[in-house]
Amino acid sequence: MSFGLPPSSTCPHADDAGAYVLRALPDTELRAFAQHMETCAGCRHEVEELQVVADQLPMAAPQLVPPPDLRNRIMSVVESEAELLRAAGPQADRPPARARPSRRPRFGWTRLFVSPGIAASLAAVFVFLGVGAGVLLSGDDGPGPVRTVAASTAPEGSSAAVEVQDDVATLVVRDLPAPKSGRVYQVWVRTGAAPKPTHTLFNVRTDGDARVKVDESIAGVEEILVTEEPSGGSNIPSGPPVIAATVN
Amino acid sequence: MQLVRKGEPGAFDAIYERHSTAAFSLAYRMTGTRIAAEDVVQESFLSLWRSNARYDRTRGSVRTWVLGIVHNRAIDHLRRSVVHDRRRASDEGIEERFEAKERTEVEAARRDEAREVREALQTLPAEQCKVIELAYFGGFTHSEIAAMLETPIGTVKGRMRLGLEKMRHQLGGWQEVPS
Repeated sequence: MSFGLPPSSTCPHADDAGAYVLRALPDTELRAFAQHMETCAGCRHEVEELQVVADQLPMAAPQLVPPPDLRNRIMSVVESEAELLRAAGPQADRPPARARPSRRPRFGWTRLFVSPGIAASLAAVFVFLGVGAGVLLSGDDGPGPVRTVAASTAPEGSSAAVEVQDDVATLVVRDLPAPKSGRVYQVWVRTGAAPKPTHTLFNVRTDGDARVKVDESIAGVEEILVTEEPSGGSNIPSGPPVIAATVN
Repeated sequence: MQLVRKGEPGAFDAIYERHSTAAFSLAYRMTGTRIAAEDVVQESFLSLWRSNARYDRTRGSVRTWVLGIVHNRAIDHLRRSVVHDRRRASDEGIEERFEAKERTEVEAARRDEAREVREALQTLPAEQCKVIELAYFGGFTHSEIAAMLETPIGTVKGRMRLGLEKMRHQLGGWQEVPS
């Protein structure tokens, strides 16, 4: 069985197409090959054919379902950014208007946005810095100020704090060790004696950081707790809290 | 995709639901740990959300686009690693806990598709299969593979091309399972 030679056996890049579609060419060779393809129809054709195979290779990996809390983490960022985009209004999608200082609104920052991507990135920066973006957008009728409460309990070497805005709490952890395999961190709210479970389950990034919005109103809540639980969470804490923060 | 472009979270969620299993599976196969795989998938989907206008349907399906982003992110992750010793084994038997179940016909078809691609890869001569796996799933460059296998770079590149050619013939009638 013949599988065909490269388009021209004299082409100095005859064997590069395979490495190219597998992303195995070092940067310098990658640039040289990309440039070469602009003038070599044979290599372009070879790449087109082999790329189809490379696109199928991911399916050779054993198929594993991602943990449910991964979706929650991603969607919580997406939803918060979408909300800020919506709040910015249609201006967020338009090219910036020519500057007219005399008509510039007091809070004209939305004019800076040229695309949803940039708007989202800036919005994420605002959120990260703990700036009450809603205040900027809505004036006096918007959400209240953000106050930050340091956790009274956190594992040695790590830190945790809760940012509270009205009845919404966001947990921010730094250098927190990842939970054991098959386990997640779960957030609890305590009003009286017994902590109440929330649906907020999370993991930390490889650097031990995480920022998690608590999906439960904290009106009247005295303390926010975090425990390590089996994947999927628990109804009763299965161990002592690794993080505790008194919020009210 | 139109709705994702407009910044609609529901549409983005649908894309995530359709492609997250393949994305996580690829990231896990490449990084070898659950936490790193989660990081790669999270970075990939957020980058996809924030650069929503870049999908070009003439260059392939949404799945190809999503998995291309995941592959690039995973390679970046691997090449950033100080220790270039990539894990290939699973961590603590994750497959058993998270293995995708066949709940629908689409999932069953995807599993067949996965089996077909795996078989095509595994029936290659061992040396061709090895260089393709090291490059694609290991994120190694041809020169790193050549050093690892103590084989000339030209031979490594030739094996990559020949192996992919054989897979192309074997998977000739392959069609992506629709989402």
